[in-house]
This record gives sequence, C-alpha cells and structure tokens, in this order.
Amino acid sequence: MHGKTVKDLKHNPWFLTGLSLTGFFFVLAMVGPWVAPFSPWDISFNPISPPDGKHLLGVNDGGQDILSELLYALRNTITFGLLSGCTALVSGVLTGVLSGWFGGLLDAVLMRIADILLAIPAIMILILTAAVFRPSPAFLALILASITWPTISKAIRAQTLTLKNSLHVKAAFQMGAGSWYIIRHHLLPEMFPLYLIGFAAKIRMAMFMEASLAFLGLFDPSRKSLGMMISYALNYYYLDIWWNWLMPPILCLSLVIMAITFLAISLEDVLDPRLREAVMEKTP
Amino acid sequence: MDIGQRHPKSRWLGATATFIAAAVAMIYLSYALPRFLPGDFVTAAYSGSNVTLTAEQEDSLRSLYSQDAGFGSYLVRLFTLDWGYSHAFLAPVSDLFLGALPWTLLLLGAANLISMFAGFITGVEAAWRHGTRTEKSLIAGAMVFEGIPEICTGVILLVVFSLNLQWFPAAGAETAYANGDLLTRIIDIGHHLALPLCTLVLAYLPGNFLLARNSMMLVIKAPYMVTARAKGLPPRRIRYAHAARNALLPVVTRFGLRLAFMITGALVVEKINSYPGLGTLLFNAIQSRDLPVIQAVVLFSSLIVLTVILGMEGLYRIIDPRIRHAR
Repeated sequence: MHGKTVKDLKHNPWFLTGLSLTGFFFVLAMVGPWVAPFSPWDISFNPISPPDGKHLLGVNDGGQDILSELLYALRNTITFGLLSGCTALVSGVLTGVLSGWFGGLLDAVLMRIADILLAIPAIMILILTAAVFRPSPAFLALILASITWPTISKAIRAQTLTLKNSLHVKAAFQMGAGSWYIIRHHLLPEMFPLYLIGFAAKIRMAMFMEASLAFLGLFDPSRKSLGMMISYALNYYYLDIWWNWLMPPILCLSLVIMAITFLAISLEDVLDPRLREAVMEKTP
Repeated sequence: MDIGQRHPKSRWLGATATFIAAAVAMIYLSYALPRFLPGDFVTAAYSGSNVTLTAEQEDSLRSLYSQDAGFGSYLVRLFTLDWGYSHAFLAPVSDLFLGALPWTLLLLGAANLISMFAGFITGVEAAWRHGTRTEKSLIAGAMVFEGIPEICTGVILLVVFSLNLQWFPAAGAETAYANGDLLTRIIDIGHHLALPLCTLVLAYLPGNFLLARNSMMLVIKAPYMVTARAKGLPPRRIRYAHAARNALLPVVTRFGLRLAFMITGALVVEKINSYPGLGTLLFNAIQSRDLPVIQAVVLFSSLIVLTVILGMEGLYRIIDPRIRHAR
C-alpha cells in the first residue's frame, strides 16, 4: 500500500472506530476462557436470578452464569467468522489470480462455477447440511466459505487482467520471468488492498450467518453462541430479564458486526480506485 | 463481471444456462444429501425429535428416502407437488409450503420494494449534495444501521413496540376468527405486517442507499452530465433523467446477488415475529427434525430466488438501452 493510502486510513474516523472495536472484541474473545468467572456449562446456580456481585449479568434459565456464557459465545462467533473468512479469502485469491493470468479453459470453468455459486442462497445449503448431518461448526464454516469465495475471486480476476497489461508486468515477462515468479512477486503483493476489502466482507457475512443459524437452532445446543442466547432469552420476555440477559448478546453481536462493517466500507472507500477518483475529482 | 463484457445475446444465454445449472445443482443436492447418510437415517433423524412415529409412518418415511428410484422419478415427484407427508405437522408438505409462501412473498416483496425505492432516492439525492452535512449524516446513519443485524433490530423492535408499548401484535399475520369486511382485513394484515416489515426495511435500506450513492458518484462525473448542464436543462431532469437512470444499473445487477443473502435475514425476522411464513415453518420443522419439510422449504425457496435473479437479468436488459439496441 502507498504511504498516502495509509495516511488516508489513519484519518478516517470510521476506519479507526472499526479497528479499535474489532481489536477490543478480538482480545476479549481470545482471553475469554481465562477471564470468565465460571464455566458456562456449570448449571449449579439459581436459575433466572438477577445480577449481583457474584454473577455480574445474572443467571439464565438453565442455572448458568450469563457473563461466562457471553464470553464463550463471542469467542465462538468470532472463530467461525475468521475460519470462514480466511478460507474464502485464500480460495478466492488463488482461483482469481489463476483464472485471470492463465485464462483459457481454466478461466472458463472456474468462472462458470463461480457464477453458479453466486446465485445459490448460501443459507439454504447450510440449513440442509446442518439438518441432515448435524456437522461441527468448523465444517459449516468451511461449507460457507466454499459458497462465498466467488465475489473475491471475481474482483481479483478483474484486477489481474488489468495488471497483466501494465508496463511493469510486461517488462518482467519480457525479461524472462515465469508465470509463478510474476504471480508471486508482482500480482499477489500488489492486490493486497483487495484482500482486506474481501476479507472484511466475508468475516462480516460469516458472523451474521453463524448468529442466524444458531438462532434457528441448527447448532449443538451445548455450544454457546450469541444467536442461541438471544433465542433462549426471548422465551422469557415476560420476565424482567431484557437488560441483563437479552441485551448483552444483542449489543455484542451488533457491535462486532458494526465494527467489521465500518472497516469494510471505509477500506472500500479509501482503497477502491474507481470510487476514490470519483470522490477526489468532485471534491474541490 | 465478465458476462457484462460479452455480446448481450450471449450474456442472456449465459445467465439462463447458469441459473438452470444452479437449479439442477440445488435439486440434486436435496435429492442426494440424505442418501449419503450411513445407517438407518429415519431412526437417527427422528430420535432427537419430539415426534413419535408409528411403525407404519416409519416405513413410509423409510420408503420415501431409501427408494432406489433414480433422480428422474424424484424430479417427477417434485413437479407433481408430491413432496411427502409431514408427521410433525400432520399435513402434506406441499400444503404447508403453499400455505406459508404468500406471507413470505408479501413480507419480502414489500420490504424490498420500499427499501429499494427509498434507498435509491436518498442515495441519488445524497450523491447530488456531495460534501454537505446532509450527505455525511445520511452516510453515517446508513453505516450504523448496516452494522446492526436483523436479529438485533427485530428483537429490539418486538420488545419495545409489541411487548412494552403494545402498539403492534407480537405474532401472526392476521387476527384469527375475525370476520369483517375486506377493508378491516387489509388494515389488520398491515397491522401485523408492520413490525417484521420495519425490521427488514431497516436492514435492507442502508445497503441500497450506499450502493445507489456510490454508483451515482461515478455517474456524476461522466461527460454527458456536463453536456446536460450546458444545455441548460432543469436540475431535476439532469439528476433523474440523465444521471439516476444510469446509476440504477448497478443497483439492479447487484440486487440478485444480494437477494441470495437477504433471505437469511427474512428467515430470522419471521421467527422473531412468529410471522406464519416460510421462515417460521422452517424453524418449526428444524425444531422437530422434520426433514421432508426442511427439504421442501430449502429447495423451493432457492428455486424462487433463482427465478427472481433471472428475472432481474431480464429487467436489466429492458432498462439498459445499450443492451436493447446492440443487435
């Protein structure tokens, strides 16, 4: 990335808010199991009791400490997002570069598959797999990644086609550089900004999917998840639990997804060349 | 997208072929997945369910899933609406599906129409006022709302407006056993629709707004805008007849892709508001592990999504004169 872009990002309030929120939740998720006051599966407490000194957010209907549950749930949601996002990113970048650089039959086949996957609603495949096989969350994250890579792949492929005709790549080719050398030393590093945009978008979608699937009850009920906490707490809406049981998972989920959204949109604003030119020319 | 760069006719053919392939892939997955299961699937699937099957019902399910009839006869059964019998709901699966479908179409259709229209107008106006406070605050609002998932807005709206203030009903699509004239019925349906509709509009509007604003930003600097201004056309005519028309194209092309993901939110919102559409049906089927219903809802809602995306492709040809006249 150019120095100017980094400076633009440093002064972008959306990017900074998103980054600090993401950092906060990431750290919280990583240290979660060590700072949680109780085991989230410990059912020995008084069911549905309000918060007190011992249980900062009270106890749920199953006699489990809500704060501990929340920390584990956050961790599960973020892990799911990262796993699915990374897999989608790697497969999208590889297929995009290969089909852009080599073209021909490989390109035709890969892009046809990408078009088909783009049209299929991912949630439906996930629901079908989850309902039939009841697989592990990691497996579902991989399935999700296997449906969502095409958007990244298409963006990378388009950029590869542009770079392919740029002078420095042509020069490298004339000097006898092989395909792999050019891909490794010119194409992959130069498209770094696109990875960030795609990665943020995929993590956001994966966390949203995880929360929805958990809310619909498609994960193992003993696995803690923000979506499942909301779904259980909603069963007791008539009790005075909304601020200590219903609100915390809602706030966490909203803030995490909001943070990634801020990152995704601000990165796209600053790094997407087409949009940047348009904005710069219009601004006096 | 690469299909945009090819000849328009082959673009249309390519899109149709893609969607047919996607439809066949979905049908095949729904046919093949249960058959990959090891052992006695029926016992395994229904052991965790709260439905107790009689020996006879188990046999009928087993024959439904283990019959050696091939993909062809599966297709025939699909098209003749013979989708099996739900032992959890005690009704044919096709009746359940067709009973829930209209409510989902009403909810999703209304939410998309409202959020597309409102998002497009605000997006165009915001881009036109680029650099002003109005634009900045609209963008800020859109980014914040874009970050709140439907689960969260849905639950908050439900708790505040239905459970605490009691302005709107918490469940259902119309009052049961109410017999009034047509007008009362329509008002009643609208009253029930309000909360889930607001949730979905809040979820879809920011995306439509940001997309419209961004594509309008690209259009504004095009040379024909200078021409239009130089001709002395009134500003509103420049904005809508010249600029917005072209800004509409990316909004329409991206709609299909976004629809495939918007479905997720709709499922969740229906469950939160107990709206009797496909989402609630699917949720109940998942709770009782009722595989025939899950399969039918998954398969047919995917096929509907595919049809809508293909329809948008057709619409794109109509609103983009460059495609229409390129013969």
